[in-house]
Amino acid sequence: MPEALRKFTPIMFLALIVLVAITLLSLTSSITTPIVEKRIQQQVVDQMKGMFPDVVEWNEDDGLYTLFADEGKTDFLGYAFLATGSGYSSSGINILVGLEDAQTVKEIVILSQSETPGIGTRAMEPAFLDQFIGLNINDVNFIKNGGQIDGITGATISSSAIVNAVRDTAMKKVAQLEGAE
Amino acid sequence: MTSFIKEFSKGIVTSNPIFVLALGLCPALAVSDRLEKAVWMSLGVLFVLLCSNIIISAIRKYVPNIMRIPVFIVIIATFVTIISLVFEAFVPAIFDALGIYLSLIVVNCIILGRAEAFASKNSVKDSIADALGITAGFAVALIIISLIREILGTGGLAWGDTAIFTLPVLGDHPLTVLALNPGAFLVIGLLLALFRWVGVTKNE
Repeated sequence: MPEALRKFTPIMFLALIVLVAITLLSLTSSITTPIVEKRIQQQVVDQMKGMFPDVVEWNEDDGLYTLFADEGKTDFLGYAFLATGSGYSSSGINILVGLEDAQTVKEIVILSQSETPGIGTRAMEPAFLDQFIGLNINDVNFIKNGGQIDGITGATISSSAIVNAVRDTAMKKVAQLEGAE
Repeated sequence: MTSFIKEFSKGIVTSNPIFVLALGLCPALAVSDRLEKAVWMSLGVLFVLLCSNIIISAIRKYVPNIMRIPVFIVIIATFVTIISLVFEAFVPAIFDALGIYLSLIVVNCIILGRAEAFASKNSVKDSIADALGITAGFAVALIIISLIREILGTGGLAWGDTAIFTLPVLGDHPLTVLALNPGAFLVIGLLLALFRWVGVTKNE
């Protein structure tokens, strides 16, 4: 038994160190995560104000922002929400989508991305993103798939990540709206 | 106290991690294009090296020999993750600028090198001196490299969004190559040669 025990001591020691490490890390993360989340929230609000300069008040329901131009929340401006596309990079493409009404895209803005510079990032340029302006959410698809968006040769994965994320999330949010009414 | 000073000063001059030992060149090349990044990177390394050296030398008598390296790596990785989380929360601009190189402190051979070569064999007090000295050497090297690259490469010096000064002619026509990756190799290569030359002539 002592022989067998001696064999296990190094493993137990490592396990102990890992346990202490996990405790320390979860403690730190419980302090820093709320700060980071708050900042991202602020970033979303700032971008939203850029998209709808007249916004004064908004309601937030499960990530769907309903924007109003007055404090009494009667003068409806549009909707905004976040969509996340999975392109080449594991951290994803974070997109802020603005809708004029439950059918029409106002504008989309890329909040953060880490696609391949010079290749995937061509899908982040205005030439591509401006195609979304004024589109009906049902037309947010590539032309070859029956939509109205011109794809980018060589940046297929990044551009379809954006198109699919915007369309799917928009559909979901609109369904959420209808469900609420 | 004398051993403390001895251990501290050796890190800056005779075993300067960058210029003499040529360790930790990855961050030295990657984040030395701006003074601000070099300073924050040095702070990150200070935290990680100091904490890991203290813990490793405190537990050195209990660590089973065959589990040595995994234990060191777990300890180092823990402190690196802590500093990344803290940077992300409190200095997001720096966190974005340093990018992957902050997490890469984990595999920085300076840290594991000091754990294995020094902290696991010496007292806590000497390990603190060693950590401070090696970090000072690392910081001095990074600051020298980044000063050269930023001033010549961008024609001025800036901290955050505020410009400290802009050089008259160079400000309009900076030697951009020095701020880019090849510039890092050029500057570090020349500085290594300089340190070597000074060291050799001194010995003769």
